[in-house]
This record gives sequence, C-alpha cells and structure tokens, in this order.
Amino acid sequence: MNAQTTPATPAAPAVAFSPADLARRRRAARRLGWALGLTVLAIYLLGFLLPR
Amino acid sequence: MSIATTHPADPHPGHYQPAGLLRWLTTTNHKDIGTMYLTFALVMFFVGGAMILAVRAELFSPGLQLMQPEFFNQLIGIHALVMIFAALMPAATGFANWMIPLMIGAPDMALPRLNNWGFWLLPPAAILLTLPFVLALFGIGDGALATGWTFYAPLSVQGGMGIDFAILAVHILGISSIMGSINIIVTIFNMRAPGMTMMKLPLFAWGWLITAFLLIATLPVLAGAVTMLLTDRHFGTHFFNAAGGGDPILFQHLFWFFGHPEVYILLLPVWGLIPHVLATFSRKPNYGYTAQVYAFIAIGILSVVVWAHHFFTAGMPIPALIYFMFSTMAISVPLAVLFFCWIATMWKGAMSFETPMLFAVGFIVLFGIAGLTGLILADVAADAQYHHSYFVVAHFHYALFAGGIMGVMTGVYYWLPKWTGHMYSETLGKWHFWLTVVSFNLTFMPQFFLGLAGMPRRIPDYALQFAEFNAISTVGAFVLGLSQLLFAWNVWSCVRGGPKAEGRAWEGAEGLEWELSSPPPHHSWETQPVIK
Repeated sequence: MNAQTTPATPAAPAVAFSPADLARRRRAARRLGWALGLTVLAIYLLGFLLPR
Repeated sequence: MSIATTHPADPHPGHYQPAGLLRWLTTTNHKDIGTMYLTFALVMFFVGGAMILAVRAELFSPGLQLMQPEFFNQLIGIHALVMIFAALMPAATGFANWMIPLMIGAPDMALPRLNNWGFWLLPPAAILLTLPFVLALFGIGDGALATGWTFYAPLSVQGGMGIDFAILAVHILGISSIMGSINIIVTIFNMRAPGMTMMKLPLFAWGWLITAFLLIATLPVLAGAVTMLLTDRHFGTHFFNAAGGGDPILFQHLFWFFGHPEVYILLLPVWGLIPHVLATFSRKPNYGYTAQVYAFIAIGILSVVVWAHHFFTAGMPIPALIYFMFSTMAISVPLAVLFFCWIATMWKGAMSFETPMLFAVGFIVLFGIAGLTGLILADVAADAQYHHSYFVVAHFHYALFAGGIMGVMTGVYYWLPKWTGHMYSETLGKWHFWLTVVSFNLTFMPQFFLGLAGMPRRIPDYALQFAEFNAISTVGAFVLGLSQLLFAWNVWSCVRGGPKAEGRAWEGAEGLEWELSSPPPHHSWETQPVIK
C-alpha cells in the first residue's frame, strides 16, 4: 500500500526501440483496436432490436 | 492556426515534414495532437462560458430582460453540451495524448493516424452544435436545441431543426471519443516499457484506462438512443412517441445509462492526476496506490448500474427505487477510499503550495461538497423535494466545475513546464486560484439555498423571493468567468517564453515523464526505459 505514483526511474541502461518490436506491438494494438471497435458497433446496433 | 509549437517540428533532417497549417492537419505526433485537444478545449471552454454568462445576466433579476425563454433554453442546452463534450472531454483526452506515452515509456500512441482523425472530427462537431444560433440570425430555422442537454422525449421528438444538428454533432463527438478511447486502451496494453506491469502503471493512466472502457461501453448506447430519436423525428418510428405506442421513459433510461457513467468519464482522469500532484508537493510517495486502483475499478463498475437515480420522480416500482438508491450510495465507499488516500498522501508531508497544489487541495475540499450533496440527492424520499431544482444545478457544478474543470487546471499548471519548457507565473497562478475559488463559491453556494427554497432549474424568470441569491450568483459568475482570462493569459505567456524549466520541473516529482527534457524530444522515448 505504499507504492509510488509511478514506478520511478529506469533501472537498467536504456536500449533503442527495435523496429521489429515496435511493429509487433503495433500489430497487436491494431488487432485489439478492431475488436474494441466491433464491440462498440455491436452495442450500438443492439438498440434497434428493442421492441418498437 | 496560432497554436504555438512546444517541440521541434522537424526531427528528421531530410525527411519531409509539412509546415504551418498542414503540419497540424496531418500530424500524428501525440504531443501535437495533445496540444490541439487542449487548445480546442480552452477555446470551447470560453464559448460555453460566454453562453452561460448570458444566462446568468438574464437571471440577475426577476422578469425577462435580455432574451426570450426559447433562446434562454437553447443557451442552457448548448452550454452543457459544449462544456461536457467540447471542453472537459477533449481536455482530458489532451492530457492523455500528451502524458500517457511519456509516463509509460512509449515512443508515441499505438495508433497515431486514428489519433489524428479523432481530433479533427471535433471542430466540425462543434460547428454543428453552435451553427443553428447563427442560422437563426438569418431567419433560417428556429435556433439550437432547446431541450436541455438531455434531449428528453417527447419534447425532442417535436422540436425544431436544432435538435437534428445536435443529434448529428453528438454522433460525431461520440465517434471521436471512441477513437480516442480505443487508442488509449491499446497504447496502455501494448506500448508499456519493459518491467512496467499493470500494478506499476501511473495512476493517471489507470484513471484513463477505466474511463476509456466506460466510454466504449456507454457511448454506443447514447448513439443508439439519439439515432432512434432521429428516426422517430423523420422516419416514422415510434420508439419514444407515446402516441404511436412508444415509451418516453425508455429514452430517459437509455440516455442516463450513458449519462451517469459520463460523470465518472469526466472525473476519473482527474482522480488519476490528482495523486501525482499531491505526492509531488507533499514530497512523499503516494499513499494507497493499490487501494486507489481498486477504487477506480469499483467506481467504474458501479457507475453503469445506478443510472435511474437521475429520474426517480419519473415513476418506478418501489423495489427499483430502493435498488437505485442503495447502489448509488454504494459509490461513496470507493470514493471515500480515494479521499482517504489523497489526505493520507499529504499527511506529515513536506508540503508546499505552488499553484498546482493549491488547485489540488481546492479540488479535494470543493469536490467533497459535491460528494456529500450527491448522497442527499441519492435519497429517494429527499430527491422528490430536490429534483429539478437549483440544488441539483449547484451539486453538479461542484462535481463538474470544482471536480472537473479545477482538476483540469491542476493538470495544466502541473504539466505546463513539461510541455513548454518554461515556468508560468506563480503570482498570476495564485491570483487565478483564489479568484476562482471565491467566485465559484459565490456563484454556486447560493444555488443550494435557492433549490432548497424551491426555485426550479431551466427557467428564465422567477419569483421575487429568489432575487437576492440570484443577484449574488450572477456577480459571482461574472467574476469567475473573467478570472479565467488570467488562466488563458498565464498559459499563453508560458508557451511564448519564461524562465527555463528543467526536465524534472518540480522538486518532488517522480515518474518516467520527468526523466525526459522539458519540452520532450519529438519522439518521446527513442530508447526504451526499463522499469525496476
């Protein structure tokens, strides 16, 4: 219960982001982004199934 | 465009970088987009503020002085929509854009182009919201939406074309917010530096993560409701039209299923940033990190199951009333945990009171009043007296001005040196704080008493017995509005120049964002920090 607001400073020597790592992270982000977007669309369309 | 540059425009010599307006139109840099969000929010804050000053001027004394009731209703509705969707939400998204990549060790947001589109949807939506006022001046249409920001049916089914403009604007604003939310979620999940586990995530990022999930869950419901409203108005459906077998109360359920979480959508980013400020200026670690994270999650979950307390008086079965009363009151438990942690963070700290700390402490005190009066409104029996009165107006302004806008100002003063590389004027900042706090209370404290005495909200005229408190409230509102010019001037001066800010602009500041220079380089983290 005594953690800091943020986990303070870098501990190890920093290394440059590798293009491959960044590309992998962005691919994963796009997949999750599409999943979230489709969820939004599904919730939106649910409204039209309400009885009129 | 007159947005000042806070970091180099051309980080890669020889690589094509557009300049001027084209730079801002096409930028995918999270800091540029954050700056645009914050600038847009500041402009719309003054637009929404000007609208409500006209309202307060009308309410200075009983009778109709300055405007007709129809125009008065339009001003109130558009003021709320502008302040919520075009000022507070973009300000929070601006913070997220600027700070989340810096705080989690990412070079940028995960989906930079989506980020650009998310911002550039906002200006057309703001134009749509306010355009009906201008068209009415030329005799086209009957002005902006006059239903209040809640679009309640059947009034909204029958109203003029301003409602169609607002429906379209809300759709666009919603799409923008969804884009921003998706980007924030995927950035936090996929772009964190090695070693930054979820339970090491800065509290600001946690606050925004819950906010983003709330937006994903509730904005499509609002979009669905206003689309159904549009089809009721123009395509012969009867979702909300009782004459055709529809149910106007259904609209209230759908609207507030979004509308109540929206309160937490506006507040959670602020609750995330306040602990950073308190820890910095108390010069000690944050108290109860884990407890605060779980409180955020609990508030997020509870916020989507309490919506009907906004319309207790519309008529509901007794068990439903009791459920919504107790579930609403249950939110005060995690909220009390947050208040406890904030106070415990300051306890026995080596506190100093620079402007961000003043605003943070002011936020705690004034937002506490919002919380306590919210408990009163959650009581079904008492709510019958307070509903649709000025008590409610005062309560939600303590929540959304003291809790929301003052929270945003806390963040702006705290991070401005990081963004601009300059220190702002502390003297002006302190003047701004004290004028804001005094005039805010002068404006809204009398409204509690007006509400208790029975003055209904959303009326341009009122009985003589309410005159004194209304006059005081109007004087307070004008001082409050004018004192915000000090804020704008202070921010502008800081962007233009001032004493140089160091990377760690505040003595007690902890966190990755303070490891970078002020202002940060074009690509925030070219090298990957590793967290212990």
